[in-house]
Amino acid sequence: MNTVDEILDYAIDQEQQAADFYEDVAQRAETAGMKKILLDFSKEEKRHKKILIDVKAGEHELSPEQEVLDLKISDYLVEVEASDNITYQDALIIAMKKERAAHKLYSDMAAKVPESHLKEVLEGLAKEEAKHKLFFETEYDERVLMDN
Amino acid sequence: MNLKDLLSPFFVWQRAFEKPYTSIRPTIDRPGAPAYRGFHINIADTCVGCGSCHEICQNHAIDMVAVEEYLGREGDSGLRPRFDYGRCCWCGLCVDICTAASLRMSNEYAWISEDPTVFHFTAGVDDKPWQDNENGYRRAEGYHLYPPKRIEMEMLPANESVSSFEEVVKGYSEEQAKKEADRCVECGICVATCPAHMDVPDYIHSIRDGNYEKGLQLMYRTNPFPATCGRICTRRCESVCPVGILGEPVAIRWLKRLIVDQVDASDYQRILADTITENGKKIAVIGAGPGGMSAAYYLRKKGYAVTVFEAQESAGGMLRYGVPSYRLPDNDLDKDIDYIVSLGVEIKYNTAIGKDIKFEQLLENYDAVFMSTGLSVPSSMRIHGEDHPRVLSGLQVLADVANGRDPGIGKKVAVIGGGNVAMDAARVSRRFDAEVTILYRRRISEMPADEEEIHESQEEGCRIVQQAIPVEIVSADSEQQVAIRWGEAEMVDDPKGGRPRPVLQEDRMHTDTYDSIISAIGQGSNLDYISKEMHEEFAIEWGKFTPGEYQHTTLEKVFVGGDFANSTADAISAIEDGHHAARGIDRYLNPAAYEEK
Repeated sequence: MNTVDEILDYAIDQEQQAADFYEDVAQRAETAGMKKILLDFSKEEKRHKKILIDVKAGEHELSPEQEVLDLKISDYLVEVEASDNITYQDALIIAMKKERAAHKLYSDMAAKVPESHLKEVLEGLAKEEAKHKLFFETEYDERVLMDN
Repeated sequence: MNLKDLLSPFFVWQRAFEKPYTSIRPTIDRPGAPAYRGFHINIADTCVGCGSCHEICQNHAIDMVAVEEYLGREGDSGLRPRFDYGRCCWCGLCVDICTAASLRMSNEYAWISEDPTVFHFTAGVDDKPWQDNENGYRRAEGYHLYPPKRIEMEMLPANESVSSFEEVVKGYSEEQAKKEADRCVECGICVATCPAHMDVPDYIHSIRDGNYEKGLQLMYRTNPFPATCGRICTRRCESVCPVGILGEPVAIRWLKRLIVDQVDASDYQRILADTITENGKKIAVIGAGPGGMSAAYYLRKKGYAVTVFEAQESAGGMLRYGVPSYRLPDNDLDKDIDYIVSLGVEIKYNTAIGKDIKFEQLLENYDAVFMSTGLSVPSSMRIHGEDHPRVLSGLQVLADVANGRDPGIGKKVAVIGGGNVAMDAARVSRRFDAEVTILYRRRISEMPADEEEIHESQEEGCRIVQQAIPVEIVSADSEQQVAIRWGEAEMVDDPKGGRPRPVLQEDRMHTDTYDSIISAIGQGSNLDYISKEMHEEFAIEWGKFTPGEYQHTTLEKVFVGGDFANSTADAISAIEDGHHAARGIDRYLNPAAYEEK
């Protein structure tokens, strides 16, 4: 992956894979409530994908300079499995960790690239993933850590 | 007639050409004295429409009228005072009684109109030139027509309370309760706010009259758990009591308790005189907590044969197994439950649905089912090392204590969480002589626990470390101990406008060792008793039911209520859910009775 388009194609593919992952878990989920939640997660990933497609088409700009709050909630949580009887808490943990991993990947790649448009795009993607992570971490803070 | 008499009318006419001694209207304004009692001013935004002004007005010069702008505001009747200046005698009593100090008087007194019908207006709502007048009569600072402070409640001193499970709150004497009842302005704003819409002003009035039997009857109309709620209710009523705006709210919860404490359980049958006419239909209730037992009571009163299925060996649910006896003694909870059972409600103890009896069997064998199994599964922290044997759940510790078992917490305990379960686990630990530290991610002011519980836990010696985020459980040198690694948090504003969020500061980490760590960060529902296929049919979101009208679910025969079906997760809401569902079940099974004639 050396060009901006290649990077964006990769990122778009990652979002699609994430959407597919949640749809797959939703198929297996035992309760209707969790099915709905996981399909909502899938929709959210498709929304992310749409943003990146727009970026590639020049219809939307990433903003690498934008500061995104890092709640660091996912940093210290254990890995959990996407089992058939997955809970909302665990679904959020999976989502937070996925976004965290994506953020780290793009940040690490950006760090290795010299100043260029490509670097800017990588930094922009990292910020985008940080925003997605914040979305799920805020949800975790509100709904799971209610009494804490 | 002499000549003078004849000519004198003509002499009067000469006056017509002289300068008049009076004028058509005053040409020089003569302002009222600075503290003059002139036209009324109301700060409508701070007024809560309690109607105290209307009640105290001796001339019936004040009506409370609905003002659309304020309708539907929490803790606000939506009414505002309308003054009739054909009746007002300018005494100022309305200003003196105003609970919100929103009402005062300007020093303006001239309102001229040829139309005698215009001299009434809604102060603060209708545009009047004196609304911004800085002068006029207002209540002297510190002067109250009713005592602003509530009658102090006698409590066990903290050094004594931690040495036993004796009830901490002593309760009012009759004399104290009457004095406290006198502070109530009978506005009824509390009625709207109470989830069960208890008739608070009238049962408080019954204390003034010394008529506790009437008070008990009034309470049972909407709540069959008055002894319980008189002790542990979350008392939303008090949070909106207008007397609390300038002082302390009326101690509604303690007054409720006084009524129940004054009536012996053996007199309940006679006083409440609940007569049952069997209607031949059967209802199954799952869970003997406040929601289930409330539904059972109101259904039984309508003549249904009610069977309650309870997995535990006693009724009460979280009230028995989650609320320690120093807050709610068993015999007081039993006073409520025993009366419900005395009406012929059958409870099948140690009977778990899904295990001992299938949920589908209930659907088959009963005319309707009410489910209220609450939130009984402790949430996991999902941090490394959490499965350490010295990490206990708050709910388990409380259940152990309720069952008379030693929770085995040791002498140095950390409690994680800031809700009521965390506070109770901490206070219970103090009663086992443990040194207790509560670790909470946010600030004390943001703790979801009852303010009183937080205060009492501190009084009893629990140390609260705020803005402390647990990150890992690690083994200690001794197998009998466990260590927790936690970091300090900074509160950061949410850019999207939510409440401030705690953010871990990785350069300020700590590791502390305890005999046990009690996790109490929240709890979820256990719906394992419902089959996978059945799950599909219920609208369950975020692990909670979202019932429709009258607590009806998407399944025809099934109604739900309580913590797993509302957002407030407290006893009084569960009680109302049960009552509401009872009405819904009756409408469902007996629709003819509700058809419009």
